[in-house]
Amino acid sequence: MSFLLGRLGQTVLVLLVASFVAFALFRYVGDPVNNMVGQAASMADREAVRRALGLDDPMVVQFARFIGNALRGDFGISYRFGQPVAALIGERFPATLELSLISMVIATGLGVPLGVWTALHRGSVLSQVLLAVSLVGVALPTFLIGIALILIFSVGLGWLPSFGRGEVVALGGWTTGLLTVSGLKALVLPSVTLGVFQLALIMRLARAEMLEVMRTDFIRFAKARGLKPRAIEYRHALRNTLLPVITIVGLQFGNVFAFSIIVETVFQWPGLGLLVIQAIQFADVPLLAGYLVLIALCFAVINLAVDLAYVAIDPRVRGSRAAGRAT
Amino acid sequence: MTAARATLASWWDGDLLYRFRRSPVAIVSLLVAVLLFAVALGADAIAPYDAFDPAAANVVDARLPPGSAGMYGETYLLGTDPQGRDMLSAMIYGLRTSLMVGLASVVLAALVGVLLGLVAGYFGGVLDAVIMRIADVQLSFPAILIALLIDGVTRTALPREVHDALAVPILVFAIAASFWVQYARTVRGLVLVERNREYVLAARVIGVSTPRILFTHILPNVLGPVLVIATINLALAILTEATLSFLGVGLPSTQPSLGSLVRIGNEFVFSGDWWISAAPGALLVLLSLSVNIFGDFLRDALNPKLAS
Repeated sequence: MSFLLGRLGQTVLVLLVASFVAFALFRYVGDPVNNMVGQAASMADREAVRRALGLDDPMVVQFARFIGNALRGDFGISYRFGQPVAALIGERFPATLELSLISMVIATGLGVPLGVWTALHRGSVLSQVLLAVSLVGVALPTFLIGIALILIFSVGLGWLPSFGRGEVVALGGWTTGLLTVSGLKALVLPSVTLGVFQLALIMRLARAEMLEVMRTDFIRFAKARGLKPRAIEYRHALRNTLLPVITIVGLQFGNVFAFSIIVETVFQWPGLGLLVIQAIQFADVPLLAGYLVLIALCFAVINLAVDLAYVAIDPRVRGSRAAGRAT
Repeated sequence: MTAARATLASWWDGDLLYRFRRSPVAIVSLLVAVLLFAVALGADAIAPYDAFDPAAANVVDARLPPGSAGMYGETYLLGTDPQGRDMLSAMIYGLRTSLMVGLASVVLAALVGVLLGLVAGYFGGVLDAVIMRIADVQLSFPAILIALLIDGVTRTALPREVHDALAVPILVFAIAASFWVQYARTVRGLVLVERNREYVLAARVIGVSTPRILFTHILPNVLGPVLVIATINLALAILTEATLSFLGVGLPSTQPSLGSLVRIGNEFVFSGDWWISAAPGALLVLLSLSVNIFGDFLRDALNPKLAS
């Protein structure tokens, strides 16, 4: 319990720091007024805009207002798009989440079985080849994988679209590309690109864990009892392999989120990543500030969820958890 | 002289070199990496054309496929880019920039990380708690995201000309800031063990000053793992630089790196001019793979326990 409280405190601290950076950026970077008015605006016009934005108030008041607004999901108006930041983020979020989830499903669905298989058939040529390929998969930069896939499957073969989401269907406030053919087709290349690194990583991890478990005493004991290899491998070993793999899959979700920025740029996927790159290129401070807070929140939630899942799955960690793995 | 020869001999017969001589993969990867380093170092002499000289660029020769002959009889082994620059020359200069940024950020990250790790491990207490807390928190964010946000925030904060002029130092700082944690955590863990060893106690008893103990007694004993992390991080740092430059938040286009070359080429992928992005991309992969594989070898050879 004290462990969870400690984690919670850390989470709140991270969020506060992120909000402060966001606020400092928001307030002290560039001149927001210059970004909003035209070249011909008079001093009086500028002053009016400045007052309307509340940039005249003392710093503490502004920070308090920023936090208050942030808690209500209000991060101001994007300089570039002229829309509320929260609305922009809400509009782009489904695209990124869908892309990340699908690529994670691909990576886990293929990575775990491949890893287990290569662990069980350690000597075979195929497993050596798979391992070598996975090493390349870890070393290849994501954006090059994307460009290569576009060159082959879009430009060369013309099978799959190379940009955008295709047709999307609106379900309430959520837009999904999973329900149309063009949406699904558009999803293939980006999600594979995003998944390659994770696939290689999960496969190598699953293999290492499986090998580790196969060396333990209880597996040896199971062998001594004369159980069938299949029963040992899949009933005893696999279960114990899955725990660390689940943790990594959970933690990697944050990474996938970060790498989606690259994939979205390559494929012009209309998600959060593309939005933040544009925000950086056009010095769109409110948008960048909102993104900072949002990403800190996402990571806090992911890490907390993984820790909770860990406690729930493995009874052993309940006692020693606080002293153990600290990340 | 004989002492030096003896050290050399023991080095040659040592565990590390023994493993190295018997591992063709390690030998090849090191050879490729060294070759690429040499090409980058000798860029001015090796590159067939000057990639920075506007007079050498010829728009008539823009986007020629590999092996084409130019307007004045030049031969472009790997074709030309949209400005009519020789791709091979641009890549060699790009390689130099990429390596420079990668090496500088690794050195900076290692310096900061090792120093903080030494201090945290040796002194413990509040200092240790604070440093490691920060490390923990930072570790829960992906390195690429941290580098991107640092670069993005400075880019937003500084006027464009200032940022372009400072692009390299900022990029180095952004990458180093996202990689120091690994060094700090590893060194701290090692120092926790080393500080209770007899040689440290003995040094303390005879009155050796604390900085001296830290830097001349403990530091050499923790450098092995640091070297391993640095090698593997070099590949990562090069990829991070390339990725950021590709996203358009790294180096300006006036300073070609492998990543920004791919970025330029990416705009012409649909016109079928594949070489503009594929050639620098392939070079990047070659560089990253060779450094990565050699780093893996070092890790396994120097400390099997580090293998994760």
